[in-house]
Amino acid sequence: MTASHRVRAGTAEDRALRVVIAEDAALFREGLTRLLADRGHQVVAAVADGDALLAAVARHHPDVVVADIRMPPTHTDEGLRAAIEIRRDHPGTGVIVLSQYIETRYAARLLGGNAAGVGYLLKDRVADVAEFADALARVARGGTALDPEVVSHLVRASGHADGLAGLTARERDVLALMAEGRSNAGIAAALVVSAGAVEKHVASIFGKLGLPPSEADNRRVLAVLRYFGS
Amino acid sequence: MGITGPVRTVTASPLPGGGRSLAGRAAGGPAAGLAILHAAVRAPFTGRARREVLFCLSGLPFVLVNPVTVFQVTAVLLWLFWRPTPARPPNLSWRDVAAAGTVVGLVLLLLVATGAARGIGAACRRLAARLLGERIAAPPPRRPRPGLLGGLDARLRDAPGWRAVAYLLLKLPVALFGCYAVVLFWGVGLINLTYPFWWLTFRNHAPGVQLRPVPVFTPFGWFGQGTFHVATFPGTFGAFAAGAGMLLAAPWVTRAAVSADRWLMRGLLGPGRLAQRLRDLEHTRALAVDDSAALLRRVERNLHDGAQIRLATLAMDLGMAKEKLGDDGEVLDPAAVRELVTSAHQAAKDALVELRDLARGIHPPVLDNGLADALATLAAGSAIPVELTTSIPRRPTPAIETIAYFCAAELLANAVKHSDAGTIKADVAGRDGMLVLDMTDDGRGGADPVRGSGLSGLEQRVSTVDGRMDIVSPPGGPTRIIVRLPLRA
Repeated sequence: MTASHRVRAGTAEDRALRVVIAEDAALFREGLTRLLADRGHQVVAAVADGDALLAAVARHHPDVVVADIRMPPTHTDEGLRAAIEIRRDHPGTGVIVLSQYIETRYAARLLGGNAAGVGYLLKDRVADVAEFADALARVARGGTALDPEVVSHLVRASGHADGLAGLTARERDVLALMAEGRSNAGIAAALVVSAGAVEKHVASIFGKLGLPPSEADNRRVLAVLRYFGS
Repeated sequence: MGITGPVRTVTASPLPGGGRSLAGRAAGGPAAGLAILHAAVRAPFTGRARREVLFCLSGLPFVLVNPVTVFQVTAVLLWLFWRPTPARPPNLSWRDVAAAGTVVGLVLLLLVATGAARGIGAACRRLAARLLGERIAAPPPRRPRPGLLGGLDARLRDAPGWRAVAYLLLKLPVALFGCYAVVLFWGVGLINLTYPFWWLTFRNHAPGVQLRPVPVFTPFGWFGQGTFHVATFPGTFGAFAAGAGMLLAAPWVTRAAVSADRWLMRGLLGPGRLAQRLRDLEHTRALAVDDSAALLRRVERNLHDGAQIRLATLAMDLGMAKEKLGDDGEVLDPAAVRELVTSAHQAAKDALVELRDLARGIHPPVLDNGLADALATLAAGSAIPVELTTSIPRRPTPAIETIAYFCAAELLANAVKHSDAGTIKADVAGRDGMLVLDMTDDGRGGADPVRGSGLSGLEQRVSTVDGRMDIVSPPGGPTRIIVRLPLRA
């Protein structure tokens, strides 16, 4: 619990977000709406399919969208397609895609070479309310929130990527957590090391990956993308 | 009149497949007699009779112009007219050369015969499908082999091709008989019918003029001089009667020719028994594979949309409740926590119900005790009362039990949904090495596998184990469905 609290502390502004939800299962949609309202966010629309989602986004210009991948009519990847379209047409809107399974291909399509303002989480993660709320705020700010499952899948997939060959095992762990979207404090808590140690690792990773010094968030995103070999 | 005699015998043993509407009216003697008379008089005017005549005529060109007939005719001519020139062996006459050339031609003809016969067979199958509604599956194509010798070998061992050749050989007499039937019974019959008309038009001579009698042709007697002659106007009505009789008989004669042809086609132009069996097995295997894939997809979908969603919601509720409870100290909003826990509790119970239903849908555990127990459980849970009798002395294999169980479940569900029935009788018995599921409801009938995908799905599932399903469901009911399954798949 302490970890999530510290993570929360990092995003303490907790500004009220305007959210659009797209989820075809009414039960889960209502639960999600209640959860977000409970956290002080404003759910401006809760819809049940991809087309309605696009319409709602065009109308409300929300800060962030939470979309299920499998929705009517075909129950395949409607949510994902809508999410990609939103990322293209509304760069200011963060997109979190929820799913009951993790598909690496979906993650790659969703990221599409740009990990800013995007999240891909298992539905289970919503149960860790604080962490989910944190991911939501992060994505709304332009950060990343990738499910640990996604990350471990992608790690396996990109295990032999050349760019990562120079990293130590510990640095890879740090990078994986970074890919999930965690802050330095969050990474420190997860690895049970000091925040200073994490900072050292992060600087080393940036150096080894040849990322020029710039705004920290941007470099993190670049590192994550490098990590996925996109 | 002489009609009543034969009519009674027909009523006693109704025509095989001779029209269900007749059977319905065949309760009393005279009424049935009228019905059959009606059918007999109408027979020459039906579309079926017309199409059968067309079939007889259209088959003739194929029989006359094909390599097999050419071979036969040439061989016969050769045999009849060619004699080796006696003596002087080194010097061949032009006739010997021609004969040798013909023999070589015949051998070459034999080589293309199978291919040509296949082509003509295909045309005959298309005609039969078009005109008779007789659909015969095409035989497997000839397997091409590389090289000249390979090609020759493939041609000579082309069993369906040779069967097609045999068909053409046997079709010749059948087709000739068919044409005879059409020309004599239909053509001459029609001409006979018009005798009184022609007599009035052309033979209106002054009284006293002696006229040559006119011959009337019928199937009896030789063509040359006619069966009988008419010399007077009243006599032409004899010809008229003969024509009417011939026309009444005509559809049955053509049908006889057509039936013989159909029999030949089924036996010789189809894929052959083994190939047909292979094709059936391929088909049912595809069905079985599709069926199991569809089942898995359905299970996944049910899990995804049902229990998984409920559990995710439950976890979310508990997560929120946990947040509200905090790490320690006083709970700020106990009412909200209570509500969340109540909702989570409900979601957990719902998820349990869904998982149980889903598990039972995959395999009902009671089926492990035997089909009888499983069906009894099923019947007890039916919305329409079910009178169930079971006698299954030898236990079928698990796959058969599962199929029988799901058939029964689906049929019951169908009856509940569509039939409006008051009671359902279900009898499940092991008989002659088969498991027979016989289900009758007193509902409104009209069940049709072509319209409802449920029944056709069942039919497919049953056919994957060489079982069969028969449905009798006239509009107005009752509906009786019999499923026969082998005891082992």
